[in-house]
Amino acid sequence: MENVKIIAGIALIVLGLFVYVTATFGLFRFQYVLNRMHAAALGDTLGILFVLLGLMVLVGFGFHMLRLGLIICFLWLASPVASHLLAKAEFVTFKHIKSECEVVEK
Amino acid sequence: MSKMARSKKEKQTSWQRFCTWVNGGTAEQPLLPAEPAKPKKAKAAKPKKQKAQPVRKEWMGLSRFEHIYRICAVLIGVVMVGVLMIAVLQLPLFGSPDNPSVNEVVERYVEKGLEETGAVNMVAGMILDYRAFDTFGESSVLFLAVTCVTMLLMRDRNNTNKEEDLLTAREHVIEGYEEDIILTKVARIVIPCALVYGVYVVLNGHLSPGGGFSGGTIMGSALILFAVSFGMIRMSQFFNYATFRKITSCALMVYAASKAYSFFTGANHLESHIPLGVPGAILSSGLILILDICVGIVVACTMYGFYALFTKGEL
Repeated sequence: MENVKIIAGIALIVLGLFVYVTATFGLFRFQYVLNRMHAAALGDTLGILFVLLGLMVLVGFGFHMLRLGLIICFLWLASPVASHLLAKAEFVTFKHIKSECEVVEK
Repeated sequence: MSKMARSKKEKQTSWQRFCTWVNGGTAEQPLLPAEPAKPKKAKAAKPKKQKAQPVRKEWMGLSRFEHIYRICAVLIGVVMVGVLMIAVLQLPLFGSPDNPSVNEVVERYVEKGLEETGAVNMVAGMILDYRAFDTFGESSVLFLAVTCVTMLLMRDRNNTNKEEDLLTAREHVIEGYEEDIILTKVARIVIPCALVYGVYVVLNGHLSPGGGFSGGTIMGSALILFAVSFGMIRMSQFFNYATFRKITSCALMVYAASKAYSFFTGANHLESHIPLGVPGAILSSGLILILDICVGIVVACTMYGFYALFTKGEL
């Protein structure tokens, strides 16, 4: 049982690291700001979720598990909002945005 | 007599010129005062250009000043590097037994710290009891820094022109008009949690890692988040320059008074009448809790003050 727990935890962390590696590749390979932000946000949400889930499995039931869950909550609240604001700033300030992506008119 | 008066007059004018130069100078007035002792080369080369373009002269003076400035900068840098290198050479060897870091003070802190300060968190006991004066200096430095930034960046009658006024007015209109729904919704959830967490870190400073500085930073970031998401106008309804001044100076004075009391009693071998309490309880370890709260308030206000002054120039 203990072994299964450790293996599951490590597998989750490795999955999270894989997501992070993908996000980093995307961050460096893409050219345009919004594409790069999309890649980075992937690591900020899915990658951190898998890593922290792995840690939660490793530490087992208890107070630490709750803390890690709170960290996930906070990051899932804060990081997408930060991305949203960055994207909004790009949308407002970049003149030729229509040449890069589709813009839905309000 | 007349000579003296003349020299005085000259001095005054050069002083005035210096003042105008410090204040940025104008097109009519020369940027640099004429230097009394000019090198011969410059004297020989100057007159032609001077007559051709009066602007040129200013530029020449400025470039010479920059030359001196660079030489001075290099000299000061070299001297500082030399002094620091000599100081490093004078340091005791790493790990030798008669280093100042291995003297009896450390033993005292480790062995008697809990008993004397009542703080479970040894670091809090050290920085807010044994070395509280040092921490007082740190919080005063923060306060001083924010005061200086206020002097330089605060927008008041003397520090604005019409364009800036128009710009701020427009910003205010935009702020009042357009709120980012996503940001405000999330901020409504996050800000109370962040504030409560900051208060927890401050109040728990003597029991667990944390204390005034870290907790104050968390509270300050919550204040900054509020200012970002709801705008400066709503922020200034409950936190403006007057409240900032009152809160910060009150906290510093409470800190100074309580620490002066304990210094006075300690130096005169009097009993301090402040119960140390049971180590581990929230109301324990004497003055440390009060000092932590004071430091936390100062740090939170300073963090927010820096943000507000550097972005908008108002508090």
